[in-house]
Amino acid sequence: MAFQTRRKYCFFKENNISTVDYKDVKLLKRFTNDNGKIMPRRVTGTSAKMHRKVVGAIKRARTIGLMPFVDNGSE
Amino acid sequence: MRYYELIYIVNSNVERKKVDQVMKDIGERLEKAGSKLINHTVWGKKKLAYPIRGNTYGTYILAHYNGGDNEKLSEFDSWLKLSGLAIRHMIVKLDKEPEVVEILSQGEAENDTSKDKLEEKEDKNSNDEKVEKEDSEDKTKKEKTDEKDKEVE
Repeated sequence: MAFQTRRKYCFFKENNISTVDYKDVKLLKRFTNDNGKIMPRRVTGTSAKMHRKVVGAIKRARTIGLMPFVDNGSE
Repeated sequence: MRYYELIYIVNSNVERKKVDQVMKDIGERLEKAGSKLINHTVWGKKKLAYPIRGNTYGTYILAHYNGGDNEKLSEFDSWLKLSGLAIRHMIVKLDKEPEVVEILSQGEAENDTSKDKLEEKEDKNSNDEKVEKEDSEDKTKKEKTDEKDKEVE
């Protein structure tokens, strides 16, 4: 099996985004998996600085009911 | 000067009039605390990610205000929690001054909500597209993450 290496990049650096708003669910969903868990930095490739902001925003969005704490599809 | 953002959810089944009343109450209360309201707008009806107090849908309302008396503002926070006007609320400190958004009149606001619905639909569609795109683009990556998740579980 051929092992493909894929260049990881910081999404925010590529798109010149410096702030993360907790109301921007569409953006934040990129950084959670299907279960609603926050994906680790080693998977998403986000820079440490922006990852901290993303984590904070996701947690705020969860508090106010915009994003799920656990999404197991039972609704 | 400190600027704050208040977001709160009102039961989506209540009439428009009642929502206006709640907004008025909260606005008055904030002004009593010595703050000046900058924005106070209805964001729209949204599906909640999880049920809150038995509600699956909620009307989100956003308010921006500048800092008044600190003690009174924390009092306002607990008052809002105890009053039962909002299903849930959250106050966030802003880094910079918020932009002034024009307050929509009632007719426009109604149109806005219908627009929101359309946008939601579009969002869903675009989300699907995005997912498909990601699927093709990051298949290897996704598989990797899935494997990792399985391992974790």
